Amino acid sequence: MVTGKVKVENKNGIHLRLAGELVKAATRFKATVMIGRDGELINAKSMLGVAGLGAQYGTELELNVDGEDEKNALDTLVDLIKNRFYVEE
Amino acid sequence: MSSKKEMIFTGIPAAPGIAFGQAFVVNIEDLPVTAEPIEDDMVEDEIARMESALKQTGEELSGLHSTLEAEMGEEHAKILDSHIMLIADELMKTETIQIIRNDKVNAACAFSRVIDKTLRTFDQMEDQYLKERAEDIRDVKKRVIRNLFGHKVEGLANLRREAVVVAHNLTPADTVGFRKKFVKAFVSEMGGSTSHAAIIARSMGIPAVVGLDEVRSHIKPFDELIVDGISGQVILHPKEETIALYEQAQERFLEMEEELLTIKDYPAVTLDGRTIELSANIETLDEVEDIKSHGAKGVGLFRTEYFFITRGTLPGEEEQYRYYSEVVKNVAPDPVLFRTLDIGGDKIAAWVDDTQEENPFMGWRGIRFTLSRKDIFRTQLRAIYRAAVFGRVRIMFPMVSIVDEVRQAMDICREVQDDLKRENYQFDHNVETGIMIETPSAVAMADVLAKEVDFFSIGSNDLVQYALAVDRGNSRISYLYSPMHPAIIRLINDTAQVAHNNNIWVGLCGEMVADARVRGTLLLIGLGLDEFSASAYLIPEIKKIIRSVTYDETKSMVKMALTKATATEVVELIDQFIEEKRPELKELIPKGAI
Repeated sequence: MVTGKVKVENKNGIHLRLAGELVKAATRFKATVMIGRDGELINAKSMLGVAGLGAQYGTELELNVDGEDEKNALDTLVDLIKNRFYVEE
Repeated sequence: MSSKKEMIFTGIPAAPGIAFGQAFVVNIEDLPVTAEPIEDDMVEDEIARMESALKQTGEELSGLHSTLEAEMGEEHAKILDSHIMLIADELMKTETIQIIRNDKVNAACAFSRVIDKTLRTFDQMEDQYLKERAEDIRDVKKRVIRNLFGHKVEGLANLRREAVVVAHNLTPADTVGFRKKFVKAFVSEMGGSTSHAAIIARSMGIPAVVGLDEVRSHIKPFDELIVDGISGQVILHPKEETIALYEQAQERFLEMEEELLTIKDYPAVTLDGRTIELSANIETLDEVEDIKSHGAKGVGLFRTEYFFITRGTLPGEEEQYRYYSEVVKNVAPDPVLFRTLDIGGDKIAAWVDDTQEENPFMGWRGIRFTLSRKDIFRTQLRAIYRAAVFGRVRIMFPMVSIVDEVRQAMDICREVQDDLKRENYQFDHNVETGIMIETPSAVAMADVLAKEVDFFSIGSNDLVQYALAVDRGNSRISYLYSPMHPAIIRLINDTAQVAHNNNIWVGLCGEMVADARVRGTLLLIGLGLDEFSASAYLIPEIKKIIRSVTYDETKSMVKMALTKATATEVVELIDQFIEEKRPELKELIPKGAI
């Protein structure tokens, strides 16, 4: 298992549309991806779960990724969040 | 025909035309969910019901997505992407099935528990913006629960038959469910003739009547209705004689429409040779085709905010540039007038941080918003200037109330142009810049403002609202909302004179030409405006009016109108003019049969 931490940089936090982007990205990997904060993690492949994260600007998210492509999955997701999901705000 | 008693309701005519059809009553109320214990042998059935309801909801949403994409473009359809993803959430399904199995409760209850758990976390969120996104999840929940109960969802998205839509109100978000193919007319309890729903109905060319208080307590699904968007009457359970009368009226109306289209390519010039530029108001690229097919010369008002409110995040410069370029290319060689972001009032984007205002129409909107969010303003201006190389572009700032706002905005325009030049971008240096005249203070200061800009465009909807202090969406006081009021005519007259004294052109892009139709247009010709912009569907009719009169005679009529005391007197004066001088114009207002 690999773990990582990343701050939400999007001004409006991870709203529904970005939650969709995150879920889409997580679903591409075989590994189990858990995401959340303060030790409370949910499955990053669940749209309802990610939408309900309430991750606003500045929230530090924790990621626990477990499975054969874990390293790649972690890097991809951290990169996506770190780069504000590649959207202009 | 119906054996029930005929009833007539009178509201505000919002979009012209006559339609017959059965009512489709939009019902968005929640269905109550209670925990019903189930027997062991019912568990698998309940799970199957759950799966089928999710499948059905997913299909509904995907169907709506493709229809919207085909009929209204990709932008509208995007709104539904996250709804579809929610429905497809495997974990949500697994969790619901687990609750059904373990707790032996009905599917609706199990599903509600799963969704409500997430909704509770939304309630605890501090961020107002994120908190409001819970509405999308609630919407999905409602759809699934309705399908579980086997209720026919009376939401616009589910409209599968031709019908007259009867609703309490339609918000901009609701109209994504509007399917032109099935909607024959639109009736609402709320709203004035300039409400979002009314504008949408006009741009789609379907009749609409709004402001019909509590009409939903009388109209039931499948009830027969006649909607007269010309007189503002809605007839419930019409008698045979009434139907016959309205069929004649509809025939006359359609003949007139057809006849009007034959003159669409003629110039908009009065009998004594005064040419008026006639252009169309649009919100999306999809409407560009309507401009050409109705003979408008370009776009007199491109409401850019629509592009901003239909998404969860701010569009960037490239995205805006691509979109604006398409509009400019498609309209060229005719001009496109871009109104810079007019957010606020009833148009709030999901990404606006703080939308809580006591008086939003007098609050943080139009140029006030863009000047306080210069990042957004600059990005939009850069995109517009760059798109301008593909044709003719004009830029206009909305909701100006003091001259400083114009000066600041013009400074930003110059800075943006300098930046683009330094960065070696191609852009147009000769874009005309103007302002909307829609506050009484702008009229009072018109002589000062005229020295700062290339043109004025009068926004009659807001000017009437602010000058007469009447909320245009409030049906209780809608009788006060009259563009025919002498106060409004005086304000427009002052604006036009000042503009011409300062050698700048002046147009009108509000709904005044649309609302008041023949009367409004006659007045505006006489007031000496150089340009009118209205829904594309109205262009042929306005052209016909312009081509039927002389500027001189309308000018004399306006002189008289300026001496009148009330809106009724002004209307009488114009009607007298039509009766005596141009009786053929009466035909342009086909009266409802009753």
